[in-house]
Amino acid sequence: MMRGPQIALSVGLWALLAASIVLAVTFGPADISPHEVWQTIAQHLGLPVQSGVTRLRDAIVWELRLPRVLVAAGIGAGLALCGAIMQALTRNPLADPYLLGLSSGASFGAVTFLLAGAALLMPVGAFLGAGAAMALTLLMTRLLGGATPSRAILAGIAVSALAAAATSFLIFWSATGDSYREILSWLMGSLSGTTWGDAGIVTGAVLLLGLPMLLAGRALDAFAFGDNAAATLGIDVVRLRWLLLGATALLTGALVAVGGAIGFVGLIIPHVVRLGTGSRHRLLLPVAMLLGASFMIWTDTAARSLFAPRELPVGIITALLGAPIFLLVLLRYRRAT
Amino acid sequence: MSAGLTFEAVSVRAGEAVLLDAVSCQAHAGRLTGLIGPNGAGKSTLMRIALGLLPLQSGRITFAGADLPGMNRRVRAQLTAFVEQSGAAEVQLTAREVVALGRIPFQSIWQASPSPADDMAVEAALADVGMASFAERAYHTLSGGEQQRLQVARALAQAPQLLVLDEPTNHLDVQAQLSILTLLRQRARAGATVLLALHDLNLAAAFCDELIVLHQGHLVAQGPPEAVLTPALLHDVYAVRASLLRHPGTGRPMIAYDMPSE
Amino acid sequence: MRLSFHLVALAGLALSVAPAWAQTSYPLTLDNCGVAVTLAAAPERVVTIKSTATEMLLALGLGEKIVGVGFQDGPVPEPWAAAGAGLPVLAEKLPSQEVVLEAEPDFVYGGWESNFAADGVGERPSLTELGIASYVSPAACRSVKPVKLSFDGLFADIAEMGTIFDVTPAAEALIAEQKAELAAIVPDSRGLTAVWYSSGTKAPYVGAASNAPAMMMTALGLDNIMGTVDDGWISASWEAIVDANPDVIVLVDAAWNSAAQKKTLLAENPITSQLDAVLHERYLVVPFPASEAGIRNVGATADMAAQLAALTFDQ
Repeated sequence: MMRGPQIALSVGLWALLAASIVLAVTFGPADISPHEVWQTIAQHLGLPVQSGVTRLRDAIVWELRLPRVLVAAGIGAGLALCGAIMQALTRNPLADPYLLGLSSGASFGAVTFLLAGAALLMPVGAFLGAGAAMALTLLMTRLLGGATPSRAILAGIAVSALAAAATSFLIFWSATGDSYREILSWLMGSLSGTTWGDAGIVTGAVLLLGLPMLLAGRALDAFAFGDNAAATLGIDVVRLRWLLLGATALLTGALVAVGGAIGFVGLIIPHVVRLGTGSRHRLLLPVAMLLGASFMIWTDTAARSLFAPRELPVGIITALLGAPIFLLVLLRYRRAT
Repeated sequence: MSAGLTFEAVSVRAGEAVLLDAVSCQAHAGRLTGLIGPNGAGKSTLMRIALGLLPLQSGRITFAGADLPGMNRRVRAQLTAFVEQSGAAEVQLTAREVVALGRIPFQSIWQASPSPADDMAVEAALADVGMASFAERAYHTLSGGEQQRLQVARALAQAPQLLVLDEPTNHLDVQAQLSILTLLRQRARAGATVLLALHDLNLAAAFCDELIVLHQGHLVAQGPPEAVLTPALLHDVYAVRASLLRHPGTGRPMIAYDMPSE
Repeated sequence: MRLSFHLVALAGLALSVAPAWAQTSYPLTLDNCGVAVTLAAAPERVVTIKSTATEMLLALGLGEKIVGVGFQDGPVPEPWAAAGAGLPVLAEKLPSQEVVLEAEPDFVYGGWESNFAADGVGERPSLTELGIASYVSPAACRSVKPVKLSFDGLFADIAEMGTIFDVTPAAEALIAEQKAELAAIVPDSRGLTAVWYSSGTKAPYVGAASNAPAMMMTALGLDNIMGTVDDGWISASWEAIVDANPDVIVLVDAAWNSAAQKKTLLAENPITSQLDAVLHERYLVVPFPASEAGIRNVGATADMAAQLAALTFDQ
């Protein structure tokens, strides 16, 4: 991609993200006009504006909608980034952030905490579960003979299956009444009830982990033709792979802890971006983050507004959109070859 | 201290198997050195150890006097380049972007975009392999031969003093084979050390200034083609009977294999 | 001719007083949740799943016929606690088909349709093949959408149970008792809005328009903020609830999610803590088993009416 269109694309996606945030906060079951929404936000930000909304509507905008939109942006950006990096590290176009057993482990941790009565601590459980699954995957990779991508994938599949089985057993054994619903909502991925605390976690994780991962873009390109080619281009293949796997695991763990196991974003967004930018990671990674953020904002807006006053888990929307989008991407690949 | 690539008593074992047995040889600067031998002779192993892709178990490998496997990998990547079979083509890169990968050893992680030096090196490399008009084509739409030429271009973009190639002309049309080998010889003449593993003995004889012959991990012979390629060696190493002729134009050895009896 | 006239009159008289001594004529066939249930005689050995089923039978004086209970939601309340004390418990959760069959029932009464799964008590066709009749509490039917639940509908369900077990007099006595208690409940006249909060932390599960929550809130004179959604319960958004700012919040007290836990959650959440109902603790508490269609609904409604009457709204 030539430089001019590159810059235009980046600027365009930043603009899309900003516009998405500004617009998405105006959607919701409560009947608040966009003008009032923006005034409320402006007032909270310290600008000399008086919004005339009631105390509760003020809270709806500032405590419900705004943090939720920001969390959606962060999760979308983070998952897209992790998906792109996993696809590069494993050289497998079907890789997603959950490949190393992370989401199954997080689900197990979250469900354990929920069924133990600590529903509000589900994020902690999820994070611990993701970490445990990752450690187990790495241990199994070692036992299988060393950290190559295919061994890591195999180990991850095994750990995923184990964690999923354990989760199912736990659900079957202990779940009563309505906890099925909470569990299902978590397993599909849902941003209901996200708070400013969640926004802090997600933003922190994306900034602390995601931004440094962007710097690995050029090195990831070196992997295009295999480990040997990368090594002869001066890349410390083993160390880079472990660093990136570790960073991906931590970031994905944090995101899943807040939003549950939202599917398809990490898999699909990198492919959609590749159609436009090609595989150069210096460009692919930041563009994937921007597109992922906007995508997640709008899918979550749909999840909470389409069937108001009902709320759907956002994972349902991403799955419904994800499958046809993936088919379209595959068709474009076929036509190009 | 020689300016080329020197192997001293390099040995490698894998469990019970001996992959290389105290191999000592040299690829000189300014010369095109061919590494030949049957499958399993140890050619790939020797090259990979030199570039730090496989661990060196015993012996020494130096380039221009400096320890090559022990060198800082980034520095080594700025000095040497490696070309192997073009392999997986799942990438969504253009031809130019593939060649541009060769500039990675010279770019820092903070560098936002390629420098003018990078761009010049890429353009020159594309032109050298005759692929300048393919620059914007998608890599995966190109033929095997075109992809292989781009891999060579990528290596050239690294502006290496040592070029190591593992059978770079397999799957290529005759014209492409000749053109790449000519290009490599030009590089050698310009001062680079070029070591390439070849399968086709006649190509090796036609282009290489020196040949290193490996057989079952041992060094069997080293020297100019007319000295190394004898019917006796061909019989011992390759188990074939042949006659040696001379190329009418270049005077280089040409092998005429005896046909096996019906 | 005179004799036939007398006979007809006598028959007419007999028929007119027939309801008072109504007896079920078997074989009895009825449609229950899309399945045709045929009974050759009144069931003698019953397995009940969920408290609503157990309590229904106990209230009709059929405790002797219960050979096993499963997946109960709590202890049996007065005045049937004594009768319910010794009932054989097949499982804490949903018993498997084998365990149910071991009790040799001829009638399995499930409080939820999902009880009749293959990995639960067994699918209804498979039970029928074994000669065991199955019955789903009509308000809990999911495969066939039930009509909007009303107290009259509930009483009709009690009557149907009476018919099945040939204890129509007991059923009618129960219905009469419940009707009287219901009639004594005066709906609140203050025009209050309410939300029925059943469970859920991140996404609240609330009562909507068509099942027990709506039925009870109507009797209480409360305006259900989710009353326009045609479903039993829905997963709602906090935003919709907060925007409606209900005057009263009904909290379902369940073993796995108590009313106390809900109160804490509401008070600590940055947005719900600002609701008037939370600030002034305007809560009504209803125990979970009484929150699904069954014989405890009337009593729970009366109890909630008393709680409601005690709430003041002078800010």
